[in-house]
Amino acid sequence: MSEDLERIKEARRAWEEGPLAKTLKKFPYLNAESARFYSPDDLEGFDFLEKVGFPGTYPYTAGTFPVEPMAGLARLASMAGKGEIPGAGGQTRAAIYSGYGTPEDTRDYYKGLLQQGGRGGPNLAFDLPTQCGYDSDDPLAEGEVGKVGVCVDTLADFEIIYEPYRGDLDLDNIASNFTINAPANVIIAMYAALAEKRGIPLEKLRATPQNDILKEYIARGTYIFPPKHALRMFRDSLVFLTRNLPNVNITSIGGYHIREAGATREQDLAFSMANAIAYLQVGVDAGLHVDEFAPRFTFNAFGGSMELLKEVAFQRAARRMYARILKERFGARDPRSMRIRQAIGAHIGPSSTTLQRPLNNLTRAVIGAVASVLSGGRPLPFPPYDEPLGLGWSMEALQLAQDAGRIIACEARLLEYTDPFAGSYCMESLTDEIENAAWEELEKIEKMGGAVAAIENGYMQREVSRSAYERQRAMERGERLVVGVNCFTGENELEVTTNRLVANPYDPEKRERAEEKQKARLAEIKRERDDREVARLLRELEGLARKEEENLLPHLVDCVKAYVTEGEICGVLRQVFGEYKAVSPF
Amino acid sequence: METREKAKIRVLIAKPGLDGHDQGAKVIAYGLKDAGFEVIYTGLRRTPEDIANAALDEDVDVIGLSILSGAHLSIVRRLMGLLEEKGIGDKLVLVGGIVPEEDIPKLKEMGVAEVFVSGTYITQVADYIKEKLGLKDEGPENAQP
Repeated sequence: MSEDLERIKEARRAWEEGPLAKTLKKFPYLNAESARFYSPDDLEGFDFLEKVGFPGTYPYTAGTFPVEPMAGLARLASMAGKGEIPGAGGQTRAAIYSGYGTPEDTRDYYKGLLQQGGRGGPNLAFDLPTQCGYDSDDPLAEGEVGKVGVCVDTLADFEIIYEPYRGDLDLDNIASNFTINAPANVIIAMYAALAEKRGIPLEKLRATPQNDILKEYIARGTYIFPPKHALRMFRDSLVFLTRNLPNVNITSIGGYHIREAGATREQDLAFSMANAIAYLQVGVDAGLHVDEFAPRFTFNAFGGSMELLKEVAFQRAARRMYARILKERFGARDPRSMRIRQAIGAHIGPSSTTLQRPLNNLTRAVIGAVASVLSGGRPLPFPPYDEPLGLGWSMEALQLAQDAGRIIACEARLLEYTDPFAGSYCMESLTDEIENAAWEELEKIEKMGGAVAAIENGYMQREVSRSAYERQRAMERGERLVVGVNCFTGENELEVTTNRLVANPYDPEKRERAEEKQKARLAEIKRERDDREVARLLRELEGLARKEEENLLPHLVDCVKAYVTEGEICGVLRQVFGEYKAVSPF
Repeated sequence: METREKAKIRVLIAKPGLDGHDQGAKVIAYGLKDAGFEVIYTGLRRTPEDIANAALDEDVDVIGLSILSGAHLSIVRRLMGLLEEKGIGDKLVLVGGIVPEEDIPKLKEMGVAEVFVSGTYITQVADYIKEKLGLKDEGPENAQP
């Protein structure tokens, strides 16, 4: 082996000094970087089983599962004669991310989906007041009620949203998704309360709350309480769900938002892992064994850039790193604890799209989707090409994105090989490089005291902001090229624009009226409920919140059943926990 | 204007509403600071009242609003009214973020000087401010590279 390696190294030297040097001299704009060729000498001592392994086995580099269930899409499509994408395992997965105006508007949207044969549970986007713990009648909510998602103030709103889900699509037969973080426990309490009122056993519920508060401080910004108190609330949901709702995922950890906020690939991976470690430690500190709860950790996505090969390497590195953390650091024995389950995969995000010549965004999203399928993810081009135009996605943009995924699966048949780059000198080298850089960055955070400390001292926030600034400057300097923005913008280029004729079905007028309607209903609910009971429950909540060892979730279920509002609950907790004050970016 | 040329131009970067996507605001804050401006960043979740008060207290020359949530029309309308009330309606107000093309004239009608959308260079914004404040050629003093 080592003799072979010597021969290869010698051949490399000869190649570099001979043909390569000659070519570089001939084309002076080429440099060593653009002529990188990987060979076995880049992977000295490479151990396949240690570094890669078979798909669905430790360290999961080659894939989370032995085979991605969607790999059979082409077969299923030809059997069905049409390209309907079935849910994995025939189960009723959550619908696409959606939420419109008032609970009634959202209910009607889901009703429509079910009438068209949809079987998925709600995948709820909440408006910003709900995400930040303010009721629709709060002065801070003015102008934002029902805008970027549905507004939820009380259990009554949940009761309305879930009206279409009865009979064989009742809560024990669907999966729900809640994109909410700071007040996630209130929403979990509402789901549990709704099930109890309908007589459905809690252990039958399936859902995924995002419940990933730490990344909100680093990116996205829908935090309420200081990180330490937020982690206490995370502990409450982790323990409550593990004991009572074992089929509900505990968290959906996202590097995606961190990357979109400007983080480099390595920061994205290191910060996501630091956050995951903090959450895992919460469960261990609560006295649970890691294998009791880690199988219920999920990831939503890590985000991605246009650099396809590096993004494939990123996904492989992420799987390996997480598996090692679980096994070596937390002593997990159950393979399900060590796997990254994620909703999407290596897709790009809005920060890779351009307002200029927007149809180019379809090309970009397709490259992201190809990176996704080549690294064990799904063929879901994202975002729809009209994302940066800012009027909501049009139906034709959604159709084209979906078709692109089908073309990748059914025509290019790219899903039919699992981790096709396994063993590639280039890919294994890139995977090692990304993983090593992320471990190094993670170590820095660990030395500060972990994710919470690195948020409290502003390290992660500032690092991401600085990277975002660097990214912008690289674009302005022309080091990071964006077609139609800082290159290929000459007068001979055609400024291709697009007409969006089929608007999204949600009527913008309804959205405008949502605030007024919701405020009226909230007032009605407040009139009808038992005020003394509400006051008693809120007093009790305050007392319990002051005792760190208390799990607030059972009490939150009682609160929401009495139609205590989300804003009232968060208001009491704000008094007890205080509010997070962002660190200065300077 | 005469005294202006001695002091740094003061810019308030503000993030109105509950939207927390503030990297654009931070990037522009860093960029304008590096271009030699005095930059004050409000942080998240500011009401138009907070922003108008900050503009007054900090005696800024420019107010830059970063809005991605789609609430730009109502926010700007309220802010412009408040600035007028406080007697600082003459401040240079800029908007950055996701603004559909057809809303740009509406914002300008309300008194917004310019709208900067995705793909803008920070240098464009810096040059625009200098030109508007009559400093095109000299640039702010103490400008950093």
